[in-house]
Amino acid sequence: MKTNAPEWKDRESASEIESAAASWAARVDRGILSSDERAALEKWLGSDTRRAGAYARALAVNAHFDRAAALGPGFSPEVFEEAREPPPLFSRRRLIATGGAVAAASIAAAVGFGTFFARTAVVTAKGDTRRIALAEGSAVTLNTDSRIEPHIQERLRQVDLVRGEALFDVSRDRNRPFVVNAGDVRVRVLGTSFSVRRFNDGSVEVAVLDGRVEVGAESTLHPHRLRRGQRVRVSPRGDFQMERVSHAALERSVGWRRGIIDLHGMTLAQAAAEYARYSDRRIVIADPAIGAMKVTGIYSTSDPLGFARAAALSLDIQATPTAEGMRLDHR
Amino acid sequence: MTVAPQERTQWLARWILPHEGELRTWLLRRPLVGLDVDDVVQESYAILAGLGCVSHIRNPRTYLFEVAKSVVLMALRRSQIVSFSTLTDVESLEVPCDAPGPEAVAAGRQELERIATFIATLPPKCREVFVLRKVHELSQREVAHNMGISESTVEKHMGKALRLLANAIAYGGNSPIAASKACEDECARMERSGIRL
Repeated sequence: MKTNAPEWKDRESASEIESAAASWAARVDRGILSSDERAALEKWLGSDTRRAGAYARALAVNAHFDRAAALGPGFSPEVFEEAREPPPLFSRRRLIATGGAVAAASIAAAVGFGTFFARTAVVTAKGDTRRIALAEGSAVTLNTDSRIEPHIQERLRQVDLVRGEALFDVSRDRNRPFVVNAGDVRVRVLGTSFSVRRFNDGSVEVAVLDGRVEVGAESTLHPHRLRRGQRVRVSPRGDFQMERVSHAALERSVGWRRGIIDLHGMTLAQAAAEYARYSDRRIVIADPAIGAMKVTGIYSTSDPLGFARAAALSLDIQATPTAEGMRLDHR
Repeated sequence: MTVAPQERTQWLARWILPHEGELRTWLLRRPLVGLDVDDVVQESYAILAGLGCVSHIRNPRTYLFEVAKSVVLMALRRSQIVSFSTLTDVESLEVPCDAPGPEAVAAGRQELERIATFIATLPPKCREVFVLRKVHELSQREVAHNMGISESTVEKHMGKALRLLANAIAYGGNSPIAASKACEDECARMERSGIRL
């Protein structure tokens, strides 16, 4: 198999493009562009299809809200604010009482977009990933079975990683540090993109894809500085194990945000354990000798059984469906 | 680069935007090698905005999914990643069934309530500007006059509002959670049954 690491580093991020596109849409909304502005817009659009797409989308968002005029001059947004409060329970009763789509949509707003304002928790179920935009410009992508609690304040942006794993794309703001708390481990952000994962044994792993962060634990006096391409694992006792990782390997390790899992260099047993994070469908390995076999490839995080079948085929072993999932054994 | 004309913007707002949430959920489960969901969405809008004519499009939702699928496939070919499972997954890039489920565009009053809910989540100043502009239909200049702030400040608030609302539509609540979950389950079922070895 051939893997090409995609060229991420020099690419303008989608979120940067979206911000610029929204600014242009707001400018167009203000009135007719001067010829200079027209030229600047054309120049910005250039021949970049992503920019053109983001711009078309921003204009569409603006047009979408034109129908807000139908709300009438008596409209008071405060009435709808209760939707921002975390719903007490996602109960069927409430759905029926208030009419399916609207209730669910306002709950969706409360859980997703509204989270930043309401400062509630954001949770993913097993097998789900979810990207949350924080209103100050940062974004968090949650991996399977994870929970974060953002506390965005005037002077400090704090996010508690209560469980699981998350990838943080942090907008630069010198006056408002961004801190991630993962149990006793604190990650202070100086730069932009990094992931934090809590393991079941109590250890925490921090990997920096871009920029710099500082990692400290209750037990350490001085925080450790990590740069792009570095990864540290902090044991429950507060021992730091630092390593350098290639950019390609780091990108592979966060493939989950695109719904893919890269099993490059793993044993079958490790792959089965990795899949157990994403799904309750178990891959059971009958013999340790089979578990030690090497696998490789890029797979969908949502399809453990498809992976098990493909692995069986390429390793010439037997895959048998069971009530829990799949059992792998010698032929 | 072509700039979408006014009617195209209306068309995108009316027929495409409401399906974006569902598209994103669907894309999350696809093998997007070398691409983010955001990239695919942006490229898809670029293609739709650049079409010569849209009057032949009977079913915009299906069309949107087909466009997104072509973006994914092009990237996959470019990346030259050849992997057994990726190929299997590509076969599963079937556009989800077109049953007008609960995730379909909420109509009339319900849609209006959803719009109101989105507006309510904006930060206060931003919201005040946006309400005057969109609900009271004042021009940006009139909003500035009304609030006693500069036009450029109004424009900044509008930009921020559009950014936040675009995010709300993308990640928040365009398709109700329960419905999109059902759609995911359906997709997973299709994937399982579609596995070919």
